[in-house]
Amino acid sequence: MIDKSILLDDKTFTVGIFDDSDKLLNAVGTLKKKGVKIFDCYTPFPVHHLDRALGYERTNISIGAFLCGLLGSLTGFTLAYSMNVVDWPMIIGGKPQDISVFTSFIPVIFELTILFTAFGMVILFFARTRMIHGIKEDLLSRRQTDDHMVLAIDNGEPQDMSASEIQSLLASEGAIDVDASRTSFNTSLTDEDELAKQLMTK
Amino acid sequence: MGHHIIQEVSQEKFEFTGRAKMIAIGLFVIGAILAGVGAMDVKNHWDSIGHHATEEVHVDEAIESHEEARHGDHHATLAQDEHGHVGEGTKELHTDADHHGETVDGHHGPTWMTRIWANLLLNSYYFWLFAVSALFFIAVNYVANAGWAVMLKRVMEAQTSYLYLGSAILLAVVIGSRKTLYHWVQYFDDPSAPTDAILESKSWLLNNTSLFFFIPFVLISWILIRMKLRNNSISEDKDKGLSMFKSSTKWSAFFIFFFAFTFSALSWLIIMSLDAHWYSTMFSVYNFAISFVTGLSVMMVIVQYLKAKGYMEMVSDEVVHDLGKFMFAFCVFWGYIFLSQWLLIWYTNLPEETVYFAARLEGGYKTLFAVNIFMCFLAPFLVLMMRGAKRSPKVLLTAAAVILIGHWIDTYLLIMPGTVGDKAGIGMLEIGTTMAFAGIFIYVVLNSLSKANMYPINHPYVLESVNHDVGP
Repeated sequence: MIDKSILLDDKTFTVGIFDDSDKLLNAVGTLKKKGVKIFDCYTPFPVHHLDRALGYERTNISIGAFLCGLLGSLTGFTLAYSMNVVDWPMIIGGKPQDISVFTSFIPVIFELTILFTAFGMVILFFARTRMIHGIKEDLLSRRQTDDHMVLAIDNGEPQDMSASEIQSLLASEGAIDVDASRTSFNTSLTDEDELAKQLMTK
Repeated sequence: MGHHIIQEVSQEKFEFTGRAKMIAIGLFVIGAILAGVGAMDVKNHWDSIGHHATEEVHVDEAIESHEEARHGDHHATLAQDEHGHVGEGTKELHTDADHHGETVDGHHGPTWMTRIWANLLLNSYYFWLFAVSALFFIAVNYVANAGWAVMLKRVMEAQTSYLYLGSAILLAVVIGSRKTLYHWVQYFDDPSAPTDAILESKSWLLNNTSLFFFIPFVLISWILIRMKLRNNSISEDKDKGLSMFKSSTKWSAFFIFFFAFTFSALSWLIIMSLDAHWYSTMFSVYNFAISFVTGLSVMMVIVQYLKAKGYMEMVSDEVVHDLGKFMFAFCVFWGYIFLSQWLLIWYTNLPEETVYFAARLEGGYKTLFAVNIFMCFLAPFLVLMMRGAKRSPKVLLTAAAVILIGHWIDTYLLIMPGTVGDKAGIGMLEIGTTMAFAGIFIYVVLNSLSKANMYPINHPYVLESVNHDVGP
């Protein structure tokens, strides 16, 4: 999903449009079983098992989370240690000003670990899925952001089956609309009328 | 793509084989022999063991005890014989404290019987916690309408079957050891003892009524609720419908409410009152954390055992994964509660509170204290964090073993410093008793497991559990 180019450029696709996530999931299973190479699926909400059905590997974003947390822990420790021991030692409750008061650093370390992980994950997630402010996504159907799901097959990719066989397979799996050749359109078009015209035709 | 939904659970039944019985009984017998030999050893060498604390520590303790004296707090276990030679001020305290420390046998300070009783209390309490937390977990699953763990419900029920024997042993040990271990019992039994303001202020809870009526009342109530839940579960196997589920949910809701108060009170009465002058508001939560994480680890061990024996094929990796998540989560919970208790006491630095950690951070307990934090929090935290670890039986079993041993040490640290003091140790006696208790526990649990079907197939959420999926 993520590793492929999200900007679909000028490729043409065979698309099947579904209004039911279970049908989409079954269609993906059937197509995969018949050896059809699926480009991607676009859904307005996460469909359970879809990533497994499409054969995607598990994301390793959790390693990023761990590293963010580690960075937060180290920052917290450095912050507390440099303030309370190195830079400006203060006697609080008759405690010494050295590493033996480590337990009093733990709340700081804990909070910064959480902070760094939370912020790091938000930034990392949006960066990884290219949901960055200013970038407009290419759409294959205007309703893929609303209530319909799109199964896209790259027409440029050689398939074992003929194009018409794939289309009839999609239709038999319950696609409400099958289009043999669709190009993407970009939502960043500045001309509102142009966009509206494009949307009307898709 | 492997995405098919299981519509029916195929029932199976656990068979408690002769070999498994032999192992459980053998564990008990070997443990009992070891404990007996260890007890004789402790008895014969009582005068020469212990006393490993340095002279410096004694001075510190004496000063601390002196401070306590000003607060009217005479801590019997800290003020031992050696304190005699630390100056005039402590002399007075010494006599005072010794008077309190007197046992029924007329000896002062801990005797070898103290160590045996403390050790029995440790193991009866520790194994009893497994059963309690399993009962709590069943109730939580009902009240939360949780479906994922339904396939493991019979394992939890088997764990709670130890509640009968475990409660009986615990009650017997608490009542049997009351004059040896509980300083407040000695104080209230002895009318000639000088008035102890702190103990007097606690007499509303620490009294014979609590000991002889409240503890049995709570234990029996829990057993009755357990019987109700178990009977519902068994009769659900015969007739379908929601009536048993609804009844169990109601009883579970009541149990959680009741449990919150009674478990706290039991943890104060049985464990916290060993350090009679000390108190901590975090203590019952701390005990609950120990209880829950050890109960989950035992559940994990049983599930892995059954899977290795070819049972529980229907329980997917996903369910085991979620159980592993629970283990991980409650290791963190324990760490959080431990730190909360520690920070409050460490920061405020009040003598009547710090005495608890002072006893555990000096002398022979220092190493165990560090090992405890490592085994109960750091090691499981870092290992179980990874997804792969929660799906690997070997790693899960290792983590469960580390957690169980770590919390045994944790419970040891709850009990020993306040009773046996610096003459405590982990030797043949302790290991043998633990083995014997483990033998009893294994026998009772596996026996109960073989009495019922493996899966509660008419539970309304059983298909949810069998098709459970935690995602990629």
